[in-house]
Amino acid sequence: MDDLEKAILISFDESGAVDSVLKSQAVTFIQQFKENPSICSLCIEKLCFSKLVQVQFWCLQCLHEVLRVKYSSMTPEEKSFIRKSVFSMVCYEAVDGSDSNSVRVLESPAFVKNKLAQVVVTLIYFEYPLIWSSLFVDFLPNLNKGAIVIDMFCRVLNALDDELISLDYPRSGDEVAVAGRIKDAMRVQCVPQIVRTWYDIIMAYRNSDPELCCSVMDSMRRYITWIDIGLIVNDAFIPLLFELILLDGLPDQLRTAATSVVLAVVSKRMEHKSKLALLQRLQITRVFRLVGGDNDSEIVSSVASLLTGYATEALECSKRLSSDDGKGVSVELLNEVLPSVFYVMQNCEVDSAFSVVQFLSVYVGTMKSLSALTETHLVHVGQILEVILTQIQFDPTYRNNLDMLDKIGREEEERMVEFRKDLFVLLRNIGRVAPDVTQIFIRNSLSKAVQSSEDRNAEEVEAALSLFFALGESLSDDAMKTGNGILGELVPMLLSARFPCHSNRLVALVYLDTITRYMKFFSENTQYIPMALGAFLDERGIHHPNVNVSRRASYLFMRVVKLLKAKLVPYIETILQSLQDTVAQFTRKSSSSKELSASEDGSHIFEAIGLLIGMEDVPIEKQSEYLSALLTPLCQQVEVALLNAKSKNSEESLAQIGNIQQIIMAINAISKGFSERLVTASRPAIGLMFKQTLDILLTILVVFPKVEPLRCKVTSFIHRMVDTLGASVFPCLPKALEQLLTESETKELVGFLVLLNQLICKFSTGVRDILEEVYPVIAGRVFNILPRNDIPPAPGGCTEEIRELQELQRTFFTFLHAIATHDLSFVFLSPKGRGYLDSMMQLLLYTCCNHKEITVRKACVQIFIRLIKDWCSGPYGKEEVPGFRSFIIEVFATNCCLYSVLDKSFDFRDANTMVLFGEIVLAQKVMYEKFGNDFLLYFVSKSFQNVHCPQDLAEQYCQNLQQGNDIKALKSFYQSLIEKLRVQQNGSSVFR
Amino acid sequence: MNWESFCATRGEMIKAIGTNRVNDKEVVICFNFYFQALPNQQTVDYPSFKLVIVGDGGTGKTTFVKRHLTGEFEKKYEPTIGVEVHPLDFFTNCGKIRFYCWDTAGQEKFGGLRDGYYIHGQCAIIMFDVTARLTYKNVPTWHRDLCRVCENIPIVLCGNKVDVKNRQVKAKQVTFHRKKNLQYYEISAKSNYNFEKPFLYLARKLAGDPNLHFVESPALAPPEVQIDLAAQQQHEAELAAAASQPLPDDDDEAFD
Repeated sequence: MDDLEKAILISFDESGAVDSVLKSQAVTFIQQFKENPSICSLCIEKLCFSKLVQVQFWCLQCLHEVLRVKYSSMTPEEKSFIRKSVFSMVCYEAVDGSDSNSVRVLESPAFVKNKLAQVVVTLIYFEYPLIWSSLFVDFLPNLNKGAIVIDMFCRVLNALDDELISLDYPRSGDEVAVAGRIKDAMRVQCVPQIVRTWYDIIMAYRNSDPELCCSVMDSMRRYITWIDIGLIVNDAFIPLLFELILLDGLPDQLRTAATSVVLAVVSKRMEHKSKLALLQRLQITRVFRLVGGDNDSEIVSSVASLLTGYATEALECSKRLSSDDGKGVSVELLNEVLPSVFYVMQNCEVDSAFSVVQFLSVYVGTMKSLSALTETHLVHVGQILEVILTQIQFDPTYRNNLDMLDKIGREEEERMVEFRKDLFVLLRNIGRVAPDVTQIFIRNSLSKAVQSSEDRNAEEVEAALSLFFALGESLSDDAMKTGNGILGELVPMLLSARFPCHSNRLVALVYLDTITRYMKFFSENTQYIPMALGAFLDERGIHHPNVNVSRRASYLFMRVVKLLKAKLVPYIETILQSLQDTVAQFTRKSSSSKELSASEDGSHIFEAIGLLIGMEDVPIEKQSEYLSALLTPLCQQVEVALLNAKSKNSEESLAQIGNIQQIIMAINAISKGFSERLVTASRPAIGLMFKQTLDILLTILVVFPKVEPLRCKVTSFIHRMVDTLGASVFPCLPKALEQLLTESETKELVGFLVLLNQLICKFSTGVRDILEEVYPVIAGRVFNILPRNDIPPAPGGCTEEIRELQELQRTFFTFLHAIATHDLSFVFLSPKGRGYLDSMMQLLLYTCCNHKEITVRKACVQIFIRLIKDWCSGPYGKEEVPGFRSFIIEVFATNCCLYSVLDKSFDFRDANTMVLFGEIVLAQKVMYEKFGNDFLLYFVSKSFQNVHCPQDLAEQYCQNLQQGNDIKALKSFYQSLIEKLRVQQNGSSVFR
Repeated sequence: MNWESFCATRGEMIKAIGTNRVNDKEVVICFNFYFQALPNQQTVDYPSFKLVIVGDGGTGKTTFVKRHLTGEFEKKYEPTIGVEVHPLDFFTNCGKIRFYCWDTAGQEKFGGLRDGYYIHGQCAIIMFDVTARLTYKNVPTWHRDLCRVCENIPIVLCGNKVDVKNRQVKAKQVTFHRKKNLQYYEISAKSNYNFEKPFLYLARKLAGDPNLHFVESPALAPPEVQIDLAAQQQHEAELAAAASQPLPDDDDEAFD
């Protein structure tokens, strides 16, 4: 062993037993060795003598690298030497000049031979066909030497495909050109001989060396895409390939390889007419029997791929060819293969590269254009439905996970939801082309599923129901209502169904969802309403043992009630009775609500009840009886809780708070069913009940003043009551607002302002007294919290605190805007409120000039406009608010109406900005109306002067403002004025 | 599962990496008089496998193996030759196993042995970066180079960095694994998301036991980022949906 060999072995050491310093020395050594000018000869020489695989590998790697990098600078002699030596190696011969006992690379492990193939391919890249044109022709005779050379030949062909030809790899333009050149030359020169040799090899070795035959067929599969297909599709090869596929005694791997070759033939890109002839010629029916047997074997899955590939091509031909060119024949071929394809889809592991859904969708798509479906079509439709039903079924092994909805169950459910999407699209398409077949299929699968064995029926029932549910999405309202055809039979069948697996969460859920989807059917077919109610109210729905199901049932029941409530009047008594226990339970247990999402918290049951008993069809006596039966116990619970609140420890009171929250939510939900008209006008007694309830709930704020969740819930109830009770809620308000105002954190303040905004918008000046009372308090707090100008950006992005401040700011401006636009601006001038006038003006001014949200700026300008109108009676009137007039003329007009719009950031191309601009122009108009020349003089002679506005422009401005009533014209004039001023300033603006 | 019988069937491969390294011993003996060889990495008496990790630079191969803390502690650091070998132990229901992870990071820069490192590889991970499209485009080349040296070994394709918001390679665009029958996992080395999945898949394949499972989690470095699980579930769902889509047609040899 010489130093190079030792160094290579050390470098390649895998044991970790070699010291790293030594290893790095070895690596450096072999790296330097590559610099040797005669490195190629040295490598070849080593390859003749060393049996160490690492050394062989390194030498080949080195040769490959040197060829790639230095080929152009090598001498012809050197190239020729490499070519000859490498060729000797692949032909299992001694390299020229070496001893005939020398080492043969072909006797080394696969990775060395593959490396050798890579070197040959590199030579092909540079030399074939121009320099080394005889490579393939010379190679072929050597295959007589036996399997070892044939194996090497296959490795070279496969490496050529991998390294140069196959389009599976990113290739440079140069590589693609070289590949094209090589393919062209090979087609002309040697492809027929190579194919002939493939045939001979398979014939010779099919029994003795199946592995070798597989390598050959692997090459064939790769090359079929670009060689003349006639070389394969002929009376020699096709019978041979099918013989290999069909002979039961042959090894699976050989049969599989032959199947892959036939699949490559089938998938070969060609013109459709020729493709059809090819498909016909294959007589594919002979392989059908292979997919019937043991479904797990390799041969079954490869034949399955062949059949799906064949069907895809036949379908494509049937679509592309005209009836003259063989459309009919294509359809025949397709019909011949489809039953096996359906079988494969249901029973075998289908090749993941083949898309079942895609294929079936295209097939179903061809039926759309037909006027009527044939018998065969209908049979196929039935089979496709079978395929869908099989594919959408959950695996029973996940049953418990799905029932408990643990992590695995949740993953599986999500996966399935996604997986089903395309299949359901397919189902709906089928439902359109063959509605009767689809509905009959669903009916049959439902009844079949019920009878199927215990270990499967939950999944089968769930799948059948899911099909029915999915189908509903494509049905029109009319079809749903009248229940045409089988539907009129299916829905009642569904209603009366009780599955042995009804306790299963998924089954129960999809059952209820399906009934809900078809609820329009009941609005026309009212005789089924009792049955439908039964499904929701008994243990299939709200009384289902699984809490997820019962809560979902509550929600769905509410939706049903919303749609059908007029038809449910006769059943109210029954419904209320069967819900008694659920209603009582709801407020009793509170803790579990946290893990459930807000939309499914169970309070929908109260909303449903509210919708039912809130109807005017219910006689007043009954109505107040029902309502008080609901409200009284709930209110009592609250009262008791409030009485005991003081004596509880923290844990108990936490549970209590949760409980009270639930009760407020329930009452809130009930109230949604009662309209304002009913409780205020037609039945004030009912209104009174709600008012009393509100009184009680308001005391919650007194007892638990600082409990945020309760505060939230009570506030939202007040919102509701304001909506429902209208002005009659007034008497309660002072107390409520007083309690709510005890807290003045940013977030609470926002909630409070939102409530006030609702009151202002609903009652306008009706809330003047309340507002006069609370405005000073609010103003005091807000000006304390909000900074005078910008909210400083948080150091690390948007923190929660900053976000809350921004929220408060926005709500406060809405509040001011609501006051100003609802004729309530005198509130700002009340004795207690006046103290904040200055702060407010400064804030409004700063905001209308600088705020980064244009809509906020607009709101502030609108506030100013209102204030000017409210507080300034006319040019010569008495000044109601001393100093306001000069503030507006000197400060607001200049800063907002001129300076802020002159700024380049004021973007005239932005729609929101243009709206703001319109308000600013309107403000000028209003100022002129109210202040006359006082405004004009100051604005033109002072403000315009400051920005060096040319005299003529200033004059035009005056004219436009004085004469025009057309605000649009004024707006566009003012825009052009501003744009001219901007140009004139030429970027040297120092206005602000 | 029976490791013994398994090892026997793969005797040749095991010899190269397991405890009886015929070739290597020979080497060490030959070199004793030249240099002092230091056996600084202990061999173990439970099944161990050479795992090769490949993929474009910057895809996170090193970050990935370094999440495993014991492996990080024991790793053999040989930056000069462009490979780091990390012994990562996992505890299965059939006992402990070890993956010698050959992290081939930086090989281009260091020259190194390139595909020479793959020799005797028994399983592999091909890594790409879902935020860099080119790294996915190069996956077929890595696969080819790997298979040239290691025929028929189990391979996992890993799309790393799924924690990053701005993905370039969407889950449904990943189709390569389906053409070549590889397993694909979306991972996030920085958040430990799906860290064990590739190893579990490879362990099952190597053992020929689809029910093999890990009984104990390896110690992992604490996550540096939190993965947005909602977004990730969305991706996984996309992936599941993509599985039902046809492979993109990229054979342009039309009408020969």
